[in-house]
Amino acid sequence: MNEQPVEFAPLLVAAGITKSYGANVALAPTDFTVGAGEAVAVLGENGAGKSTLAKILTGATRPDGGTVSVAGHEVAPGSPRDSLHRGIALIPQELAYVPQLTVAENIMLNRLPGRHGLTSRRAVVAAATALMERLGLWVDPRIPMARLGVSDQQIVEIVKALGRESRLLILDEPTAALTEDEAAQLYRLLGEQRSQGIGVVVVSHHLDQVRRFVDRVDVFRDGARVFSGPPAGPADLIAHMLGPGAEDAGSARRTARPGPSILEVVGWTTPGRSGLQDVSITVRQGEVVGLYGLRGSGTTALAEGLGGRRRDVSGTVTISGRSRPGITSPRAAIRAGIAYVPADRKRDGLVLAQPIRTATAMLVLGRIARWGLLSANAERAIASAYAGRFRLRHSSLDQPVGQLSGGNQQKVLLTSRLATDPRVLVAHEPTRGVDVGARREIHDALRALSDAGTAVLVVTSDVEEVVDVSDRVLVIRDGRIVGELIGDHITQDNAVHHAAA
Amino acid sequence: MTTQIQKSSAPEHDFPAPTISPARGARGAALRAGAVQSLGIAGFLLVLVLVFSASTPRFLTGDNLVGILASVAFIGVVALGQTVVIVGGGFDLSVAGVAPLSAVVYAQQVNDGRAVAVALLLALMTGAVVGAVNGLIVTKGGINPLITTLGMLSVSGGVAFTLVDGQSVPIENFSAGFMAETNLLWVPNQVWLFVLAALALAFVLRFTVYGRSLYALGGNKEAARLAGMRTDALAISTYVASGSFAALGGVILASQLLAGDGNLGKDAALLSVAAVVLGGGSLLGGAGGALGTAAGVLVLGTLANGLTLMHVSTFYQQIATGVVLLVAVGFSQLRGAVSGGVR
Repeated sequence: MNEQPVEFAPLLVAAGITKSYGANVALAPTDFTVGAGEAVAVLGENGAGKSTLAKILTGATRPDGGTVSVAGHEVAPGSPRDSLHRGIALIPQELAYVPQLTVAENIMLNRLPGRHGLTSRRAVVAAATALMERLGLWVDPRIPMARLGVSDQQIVEIVKALGRESRLLILDEPTAALTEDEAAQLYRLLGEQRSQGIGVVVVSHHLDQVRRFVDRVDVFRDGARVFSGPPAGPADLIAHMLGPGAEDAGSARRTARPGPSILEVVGWTTPGRSGLQDVSITVRQGEVVGLYGLRGSGTTALAEGLGGRRRDVSGTVTISGRSRPGITSPRAAIRAGIAYVPADRKRDGLVLAQPIRTATAMLVLGRIARWGLLSANAERAIASAYAGRFRLRHSSLDQPVGQLSGGNQQKVLLTSRLATDPRVLVAHEPTRGVDVGARREIHDALRALSDAGTAVLVVTSDVEEVVDVSDRVLVIRDGRIVGELIGDHITQDNAVHHAAA
Repeated sequence: MTTQIQKSSAPEHDFPAPTISPARGARGAALRAGAVQSLGIAGFLLVLVLVFSASTPRFLTGDNLVGILASVAFIGVVALGQTVVIVGGGFDLSVAGVAPLSAVVYAQQVNDGRAVAVALLLALMTGAVVGAVNGLIVTKGGINPLITTLGMLSVSGGVAFTLVDGQSVPIENFSAGFMAETNLLWVPNQVWLFVLAALALAFVLRFTVYGRSLYALGGNKEAARLAGMRTDALAISTYVASGSFAALGGVILASQLLAGDGNLGKDAALLSVAAVVLGGGSLLGGAGGALGTAAGVLVLGTLANGLTLMHVSTFYQQIATGVVLLVAVGFSQLRGAVSGGVR
């Protein structure tokens, strides 16, 4: 199966590792090796076993059987400390750092240089600088961690790991919050580390990016590795991830049937260097419009403005011909008929402790109540209708939202907005960090919604997404609309060309 | 598999942001533990009753059980108000200042010749006003609830002393003792009041739009705001509720002692929080309930009563109360973790 021209000296060897939770097999007996300087992508949908693999390798989970060794030394199973000691470092998706401390302090946190328990700021900066220079990675060591962008924070995390003499980096979904450029930059830096013999494992949903970077792809499905080999085309990989019986990947682009315009944004401008500059957008009935731009290009300002989260927008909004001045609060946006799906579902969208039925009805409590008393039946009816329509994977409607997978959480968030029966849906990064299956289901739902007459605006920095879901694409750069793509011109190349040129 | 990267810009919290970015779903796990806890606390209460019944013959008598209920009526009512604030994501220490303030107001108004009902109403309004001030400072001023209510605890407690020049004011009209002195079906009015208040609050929290909104507010303030809820008004209302409940507690105390005194109810702040947490509340907000809190209050009261009957000194009782709080909360966290946390 392995047709690779390059042979890597084995660095990490996991033999026969397996893990079950009760009757549920999380990982069937699996061999997994990474060579020195090799990059391996681990792909799979949620629950496929890739997280379990990562947890076993880093010692977070104790395997039921099998061994893990690094450069010939066996790692004590289930001991994060020993894994770290042997040189296995995990860069988690949710980075753990101290936001108030500087970059240098975060890098040197567990081994601040000093004598007799005293340390000096200058010594810390010097040590961190020396380390970064040696690695060829650079972030200004004096600024507080909280002021960094996500991509720089990730670089700091990598520096931290490599500073501990790590030999294998495991990155969990490293580019979920990065723009194309930042992701490319991250992979370039990782490539430099590989040339020094560091092994890299990337756990990701992001097929396209990952594919270009790695030597080998391992695809997991239902707790077993179903493919291992050099990176194939995305269609092949998706087929492996979804398994036999899954429908064809490509979605035929719909022929545009322009109806009357529903949402008209005219002359939107926001203050500040990276603000919007005279942005106008029209979304007509029956079409899904994608607004694509890199992070910081103005996508967030536009989405948040339509969601009523900003008070500094000048310009006008018209919905179904009626002018809607002053969408300066989320309440006003909802009253105007705009349903806004925030980008960060956990921080801004969901109450994780809520049961599914409550979460679905959160925006329509007034509608399912009489004299302030809630109707449990109405609530349940709404939730079960949507759960069926969205193929929500759940054990019961009383299950807390926080227990669902990312994709299913996103579906719940979306249904809570749809329950308001909106004229306009503004979905900001609707499938960030969501697995391929759920992503397709969410895109299907957005199209169905547009067919039913709602104006759908998808605001995203994910080029694959905007090309997949849109009938028309608007590209925004530096706060201005710089391009419009229709029909056959909607390609990733064209979109990226406009956004980044 | 979770999906978000920790953002550098922390969301607005009523509590200081943790210095280290929290592990995924830590809040959710804590809340789930809360749900388990509210079931467990009733079982724990039952165990306490069984143990004390077996240990001392004087425990399981009608008089003693009514005595326990009467002894917890004050802290119970205060804790119900505390439940509202904590569910909504806040925290109210000022209850221990509002209770003596309202007791003093009640005593003075009755002594000035006002009708008992009018005096009661004025006392409740005093509490509501303190609560409104708390709420405004927290929401509009953006000051942490802990600091705000600590300040108001000091202010309201100080006002109580000032009103009576540091003296204890005996109530001359005995009918003002109606809460403690008057019985319905052999049970004093204060007990009925506590029971009714607990049931009413349980109903409101569970079955009304208002209650549901409070859980959303406490669970995720920004999500609640984006869902179109009036988050500031909701938050203020929780402090008003807490202030009013604390004032009612103050009237119960004044009624029991037939006096108003700035020293009353000093331990109400921490005891009420303890009861809420025992009953499944989470200091992160969004969890807890009136019946759980009532059970928590009963656990604290039963423990004190049983240990007293067994001639355990109050110093040891204090230690036992602390240990019970830690063990009960610790156990439920453990169970929550084992039964599978939130992702």
